[in-house]
Amino acid sequence: MYDTKSDQMYRFMENEESEGQPRSNQAPRTLISMENIWKTYQMGVEQLHALRDVSFQVEKGEYLAIIGPSGSGKSTLMNLIGCLDSPSKGNYWINGNLVSDMTDDELARIRNKEIGFVFQTFNLLARATALHNVELPLIYAGMRAAERHEKAMQALESVELGDRVGHKPNELSGGQRQRVAIARALVNHPSILLADEPTGALDTKTSYEIMELFEKLHQEGNTIILVTHEHDIAERAHRIITIRDGKIEKDEKTK
Amino acid sequence: MRVATSRFLENLKMAFDTLRGNKLRSFLTIIGVVVGVIVVMLISAIISGIGMAFEEQIKAFGTRSIFVNKMDSGIRFGRPSREERMRPNLTIADALALRTLPDVETAVPSLNVSSGFFGNATVVSANGKQTSNIRLSGTLPEISRAETEILVEGRWFTQSDVDFKKDSCVIGSTVKDTFWPYESPIGKTLEINGRSFQVIGLLEKKPQLLGGGGGNNDASNTIFMPIGSALRIKPNSEDIFILVVAKEGRVLQAKDQVEDMLRARRGVTFGKPNNFSTATADSIIEQFQSITAGVALAMVVISSIGLLIGGIGVMNIMLVSVTERTREIGIRKAIGAKRSDILLQFLIEASTLTGFGGLLGLGIGWLLAMLVRLVFPSYVPYWAPPLGFFASVGIGVVFGLWPAWKAARLDPIESLRYE
Repeated sequence: MYDTKSDQMYRFMENEESEGQPRSNQAPRTLISMENIWKTYQMGVEQLHALRDVSFQVEKGEYLAIIGPSGSGKSTLMNLIGCLDSPSKGNYWINGNLVSDMTDDELARIRNKEIGFVFQTFNLLARATALHNVELPLIYAGMRAAERHEKAMQALESVELGDRVGHKPNELSGGQRQRVAIARALVNHPSILLADEPTGALDTKTSYEIMELFEKLHQEGNTIILVTHEHDIAERAHRIITIRDGKIEKDEKTK
Repeated sequence: MRVATSRFLENLKMAFDTLRGNKLRSFLTIIGVVVGVIVVMLISAIISGIGMAFEEQIKAFGTRSIFVNKMDSGIRFGRPSREERMRPNLTIADALALRTLPDVETAVPSLNVSSGFFGNATVVSANGKQTSNIRLSGTLPEISRAETEILVEGRWFTQSDVDFKKDSCVIGSTVKDTFWPYESPIGKTLEINGRSFQVIGLLEKKPQLLGGGGGNNDASNTIFMPIGSALRIKPNSEDIFILVVAKEGRVLQAKDQVEDMLRARRGVTFGKPNNFSTATADSIIEQFQSITAGVALAMVVISSIGLLIGGIGVMNIMLVSVTERTREIGIRKAIGAKRSDILLQFLIEASTLTGFGGLLGLGIGWLLAMLVRLVFPSYVPYWAPPLGFFASVGIGVVFGLWPAWKAARLDPIESLRYE
């Protein structure tokens, strides 16, 4: 076993040498802090930079939209924020954890505790009931059955689906499915609710209802990051980051 | 620990749900395992069934009997060797000499006259019926002290029967059933190759191997007569074996003494193997067990091949399942499943599948063993069900490992994009 301290020192020195810039080992006070993030893909001999030197911070309780056309690096950024992927360069802090250097299993733990995903296509388990779908993150958190059941019920009731707990996804409407997905995202009390085109598969009326729900969740103090390419959806957020060609083009407070 | 247990149970529940969702496919997948376990159950049941029937029959020889034979005793494969066939015969004089040994209570020769001078079967007739497959033995009055033949009616022949050359005989229960099924045979007359014999005794029915069959297998299809009478039926008969009855609790010592004396009498030089055999009930059972152990080993190998094929089927279907459920794996990873969680999930799923196949195989195998029992001795040994079950679960773990590992290593982003 290596001494942790010297191991850290070693890594610190290595980074300093290779990048030529010192690395802050002090956790920032903001909820999310991205410092000089690069994401590079090797395509044959060419290097493709999906993200180039992206830096921004998100405070607790913010309602943020990330907008950009397809190919802008928006999905790559979302995967990084969601800890599904690690950056090629740069530091990413979430709630005091430096996630840019984490192993797969540590990332899984962060995804479980700190992040609630809401997807365009809902991504519910088709064979499981609404209740079981919502319980799933708690299972991976290692919670006992009785407690888990109670928490999942509470989450479903908070999205007004208390009477649909035994239904499977194919017995629910699109809006109801997305609300189950939101309940699943919230059940573990994550630091951020990360929504990827949450209304992309819904009709206008249902989209409106879901956006109302996001507004309500924001008022209850949840931090929400919305990734979308639709301006009218993005405009409901209180801050909009526009991504183009792997760079932040605009970062503005709208409300 | 508690968390681990709950996660295990949770996985088990999810595995059951998945299998229930794919009933037909699950069933087809486990057929190989089911058949493998049925084979283990049936063969082990039949082997131990035969073993028990055999032991029961051999134990009827009693704990004091030693069978001395010119040929090697026990179960043999193929014809006896030339050396065996050329061995000198045992003689009546050998039997009488053995009686002088300290731990021998008595020794009686038994002369086989079942076939006549030209190899033709000896014909026995009585009460208007006729048969030729009865085992005919000439012996001495001391046969009455043997544990193997027990009288239920009448008496054995005595020295005076022998001295006065009276043609009397003691018959086995099957002989009675053949000629006098509904009346006592005592005092009746039967004819052996034209000579009249008076029936003076009836023997107890002996346990039979393989539930009946009659003929040569039936130890009760036998007639004993004084040795002089037997020699009159077939004057040149030399087919003798000697039944030695040891003193109570001295059977091993008696066996040694018998072997020493016979080696001397038959001129076996020092260092050469016996040119005769001595067998006790224990030694025959021991020999039988060593043969069934070999058969059991062969069984293990054969059923392993069956289970292996079943296992490959399981691996195949698990690989398909992992591909089909790529998106599900992506979802699970996105909401916090670690590699080990996914690995465990698919391992438990595979072993639940094969474990269920094992249980099905045990059930069917047990029913078949019960059915076989109607015509053949069969008895499911206590170790077969747990062995079958744990082997099935083990197959699931071993053959599920690679697919599960594949699932665990999937990239969450690509899995979520998978259609």
